[in-house]
Amino acid sequence: MKLRVLSILTAFSLLLSACSALSSVIPSGTVTVRIVYGSEKQAWLDPLIKQFNDAHNKTADGKTIVVEGTALGSIESVNGIISGTLQPTVWSPASSIYIPVANAEWKKTHADDLVTGNPKDLVLSPVVIAMWRPMAQALGWPDKALGWADIANLATSADGWSAYGHPEWGQFKFGHTHPAYSNSGIVSIIAETYAGLGKQRGLTDADLQSPQVKDFMTQVESSIIHYGTSTGFFGDRMFQNGPSYLSAAVLYENLIVAQETKRLSGQSSQIPVVAIYPKEGTFWSNHPYVILNASWVTAEQKDAAGVFESFLLDKPQQLKALELGFRPADPAIPLAAPLDTQHGADPKQPQTILEIPSASVIEGIQNLWTQTKKPVDLIVVMDISGSMQGDKITTARSSLMKFVQKLDDRDRLRIDLFSSDINTLTPLTELGSKRQKVLDSVSGIFEQGNTRLYDATLQAYQDLQKDGDPKHIRAIVVLTDGQDTQSSSTLDDVVSAINAAQGEGGNSIKVFTIAFGGDADKDVLTQIATPSGGKEYDSSPENIQKIYDDIATFF
Amino acid sequence: MYTPRINWVLFVLFSLAAIGVFAAALISPPFREVAYAPARELIIPPPAPVIVSVLYSTEKEAWLNEVIIDFEKTNPTINGHPVKVELEKMGSWEINAAVLDGTRKPTIVSPASSLQIAALQDASASQFGKAIVNPADTATCHSVLMTPLVLIAWKERADVLWGQQPSAAVWRNIHDALVNPQGWASMNHPEWGYVKFGHTDPLKSNSGYMTILLMTYGYYNKTSNLSASDILSNSDYQKWFLETESSIGQFESSTGPLMDKMISYGPSTFDFVSVYEATALSQAANAVGRYGELRIYYPSAMLWSDHPFCILNADWVTPQQTSAAQLFIDYLTSKPAQQVALMKYGFRPVDTSIKLDQAGSPFDQYAANGFRTNLSAIPNVEIPAGNVLNTLKDFWSRKVSK
Repeated sequence: MKLRVLSILTAFSLLLSACSALSSVIPSGTVTVRIVYGSEKQAWLDPLIKQFNDAHNKTADGKTIVVEGTALGSIESVNGIISGTLQPTVWSPASSIYIPVANAEWKKTHADDLVTGNPKDLVLSPVVIAMWRPMAQALGWPDKALGWADIANLATSADGWSAYGHPEWGQFKFGHTHPAYSNSGIVSIIAETYAGLGKQRGLTDADLQSPQVKDFMTQVESSIIHYGTSTGFFGDRMFQNGPSYLSAAVLYENLIVAQETKRLSGQSSQIPVVAIYPKEGTFWSNHPYVILNASWVTAEQKDAAGVFESFLLDKPQQLKALELGFRPADPAIPLAAPLDTQHGADPKQPQTILEIPSASVIEGIQNLWTQTKKPVDLIVVMDISGSMQGDKITTARSSLMKFVQKLDDRDRLRIDLFSSDINTLTPLTELGSKRQKVLDSVSGIFEQGNTRLYDATLQAYQDLQKDGDPKHIRAIVVLTDGQDTQSSSTLDDVVSAINAAQGEGGNSIKVFTIAFGGDADKDVLTQIATPSGGKEYDSSPENIQKIYDDIATFF
Repeated sequence: MYTPRINWVLFVLFSLAAIGVFAAALISPPFREVAYAPARELIIPPPAPVIVSVLYSTEKEAWLNEVIIDFEKTNPTINGHPVKVELEKMGSWEINAAVLDGTRKPTIVSPASSLQIAALQDASASQFGKAIVNPADTATCHSVLMTPLVLIAWKERADVLWGQQPSAAVWRNIHDALVNPQGWASMNHPEWGYVKFGHTDPLKSNSGYMTILLMTYGYYNKTSNLSASDILSNSDYQKWFLETESSIGQFESSTGPLMDKMISYGPSTFDFVSVYEATALSQAANAVGRYGELRIYYPSAMLWSDHPFCILNADWVTPQQTSAAQLFIDYLTSKPAQQVALMKYGFRPVDTSIKLDQAGSPFDQYAANGFRTNLSAIPNVEIPAGNVLNTLKDFWSRKVSK
């Protein structure tokens, strides 16, 4: 009997020891590294994430690393991290410039910094002014060095391109991304502040009180056609829509090189675009790889994130970045094609940089911008037909209210409700004095009757052409859940009105259409939005808020 | 109870096999290794290795990682036990902090200079009741590589700023160039913006600390007798010093990454930086691939990074580890390792029989950039007493640290 017990014990110990030995060779799961990163490096990172995941890389503890990436505006993403709506392992914004501001915000509710130490750079690219080559040449490029001040002069000149012998190009149309969402937007308004003061360093809080700066920024911002959520997406719009849409925009050098690579290989039929390196100095987009010092990041995620970081900094991946127009962070890799004049870049530039201001000065510049930004004249055209009943009308109401709260006091807003009738809930006047009243009215909207989509859209378009201020961004947001059932005008009437305004290029009225639910006619809404330079969105009660958020970045 | 004989035999065989597998699993945890290990290793475990853990400063990372492979090829043993070296890199001052707060218990510390060893000697005496290092004890502390702190500029800009050589008052020149509101415009180059200088964080990195020490000596135009009151009681000095430091946007934690940034960002971001001669030599070729030639300047009075390797006299270091550590240090100071340090990484060997300007050495290749083999004409500054070193560090920490 004793022997049996012993033999069972021995067998059990054998099993245990075998298990303990095996556990060290069989991976006991995966560890996920979530990365939110600036969209301008999506073309580089996306395939590398796939390649890394396919290789089933492991941590020191033998767990398989799975990397998940999301491209998002750099400032938008960190605001999400600070508010807790985003909880990634790694934040890789377009530059380090906003890190001190992010740390200051984070420390209002946490003991430690969100970003500690000196994060490594993944790739580099200078912030440049992207301009169509014939336009740059008209300004004297490449023999004459151009700067932020030249852009400001052009932006504020009443003659536009006529002053440079090109009346056919119309007004100077300028663009940068929204500073509340995107790194290049912040960088643009800091550079404007420096140019307004004639400084290159030493910006102080007191400087921001100078009326000279406010006037200067207001003038430059007046030439903006619209803002945008992220630099990569903004570059796409410029290169898709061409010179009639935008004359110049603040982008990163790599986006210009990538566009020129496409053009030279026949994948884009646009005219050439070049990088202008502002003579007063610029900033670097240095793509820091920040493993967050946040409670939701585990030790094993930090290790795994470190493995992915080393992979990205290895020579083959750095060479891939060069192919796509980035300057590798690895100093051993020489700057070579496509970083050359043939691709719109000059690797010997920039010659100097602007000093990165303190966190408080950056926040001060953001406040100054909200006072000087180009206001929007906006008409929201909302379907309240009977089919909107239930979830649809409830979420449409609440998301519209949140959207209204995001608009600035100086923005002018009109809201039209359409069903069998078209009624104006509030006329096109400044929002500041009527905001609460508008919110109260929106909360009382209910559904009834038919769908007069074309009549309502056409009427809003014609009224905005008549009543809108051409010095403002002018836009219409159309939300509908069904097909037109009762209009006297047709789709052709609406599209003709939009096409008739094509001469205004990027300054024309933008129409954003929201197909709300499966019954909406997406084709029709695309035909309305696309020629205006706006955008068509497919939406549902689940994501309507996100769509309104995206539209808000244009203003 | 009756037990058939066959059952006995089976039981004994089974038990032996089970014990064998169990023992093997204990000796060699990864099962795969057990599966492929020769049978004798299952029965006689290999002698346990003697671990030599080394906390070292980042500047010598590439060299150490290269020569350690050659060291391992010599199959070093102590009393039949194999020697295994584990390397961990850190900033020079961070090494001291990690040892003092107990988060690391290394066998060897190797910061960038004897400055940190002197500081660790004092601090460990008060922390542990005995000094765990002694820079003067040649049995436990050895300088392994030499390289001076130098100024490295982009040649195109250096030609405009200094030409062949700055004046003897180089640190005062630097201050004046940095604070000049006209910047490069005052030298007919408005396109270069303001003048930009970089050094590392003196609280973390030795080269940053050496820079502010040389700067302070430079202000007083002397090479010895620096006192705490020179730092704390002279408001003109403080104003001058803080003006220089406030022109620097960010202080890197370590010298290698600062030099990497000098090269990867180029002259737009750094006109010149203070780093080690070896760091600069190792990047001289890379610079040409990015933005152009570098130019080196030796300050009018110098400080040396001597890369001491010190075996700790601590209760966590066994006599076996001490012997193993000595074996490792002997290899590092041997001719082959020292030759690699010179030829590939630009360090000055402690073995003076190795010629610096031998054909193909970086000193030979980059002589035209201003690198010099013979620096005997340049005086070294005196290393001040521990309290003066700490005073300067504290002053920087209070007034400059971001």
